[in-house]
Amino acid sequence: MAKPSVRELSGVFLRIGNFTFGGGSATTAALQREIVERRRWYDTLQFGLCYALARVTPGTNLFAFSAASGWLLRGWQGALAALLVVSIPSCVLVCVVTVGFDSWSRNRFFEAAIAGALAASVGALLASFWLLVRPYLDRPYIFQTMLILAGSIALSFLAGWSPIVVLLLAGIAGFFWKEPTK
Amino acid sequence: MNFLVIYLLLLKATLSSFSGLAALPIVRNDFVVKRHLLTDHQLNTALVVGRSTPGPKGLYLVAVGYFVAGVPGAIAGWLAVVTPAVLVIPLLLFARRKIDDPRVKRALRAIVVASAGVSLSATLPLSIDALRNAPLCVIAALSLVLLIFTTWDTLWVMLGAALTSLALVLAGWMSLPV
Repeated sequence: MAKPSVRELSGVFLRIGNFTFGGGSATTAALQREIVERRRWYDTLQFGLCYALARVTPGTNLFAFSAASGWLLRGWQGALAALLVVSIPSCVLVCVVTVGFDSWSRNRFFEAAIAGALAASVGALLASFWLLVRPYLDRPYIFQTMLILAGSIALSFLAGWSPIVVLLLAGIAGFFWKEPTK
Repeated sequence: MNFLVIYLLLLKATLSSFSGLAALPIVRNDFVVKRHLLTDHQLNTALVVGRSTPGPKGLYLVAVGYFVAGVPGAIAGWLAVVTPAVLVIPLLLFARRKIDDPRVKRALRAIVVASAGVSLSATLPLSIDALRNAPLCVIAALSLVLLIFTTWDTLWVMLGAALTSLALVLAGWMSLPV
């Protein structure tokens, strides 16, 4: 696996981080697809490490994921570069849109384009779900995967539990629950 | 208002949440209820801006900072949303030392799978909101297929979806969601 230069790394985080609609999950999904599936800068285990730790870090998961990925690929320089390029342009855009919000929100073209981008982000989120779960659907993991999946959906969606509690419970369950041998 | 105070108030909010809009009650309490620095309308606008722009929804805090103190407030908001991300580095250093432990591997795997479940749960309300007519459902389905079965860049898929939606509205084949 060839590690990227800080410049290459920044390019990917800049492009994906600032042009993906639908929130942090959709953006992380797009980064996963780019870094793991397309460029193969790191493997599923390393992605899992960054992703899982970002989810249990307070604050915005996407920024923690970017810092973790950058650090894993290029140390402190990578972490700093990824964090800056993924956050600054979006923040500038937030300011610009805030200033002109009243006129922008009544603009038909703007509204139409946003509607399409948000619809695509639903597709991106579902694709992300599949890409996340797919590596763990093989034996001997499949039973645990299905049970953890069903449990997390039930607790977060039906019971309304906080995501962090669900993830910590899953982590504890995974820590102690030995999978059957092949 | 003092830059440092805005930063610390927003940082308190980000440090006490682990996803999306979880910090909202704290922000509202500090800025709208206690200090009257923001109106509910401005807070709502900030939320809509956070949703309508690329990147995480948590960036509404930048808009909150902007409403409170202009550009310096927005910078305080930016600092408040990026500061907690640094906390992941010591966690990563610790976890990497333990990555060969099968129990840690299993725990990470379980967290990733549970995250997928939690994200899927969060996708449902977003889907109801975003897919309000048949053409938007088709755009979402096509995006899903392209993102799973091709190596197309996500940026182009998003851009294509936005342009398709725009073209459909201009051609009169799709009405805008209300």
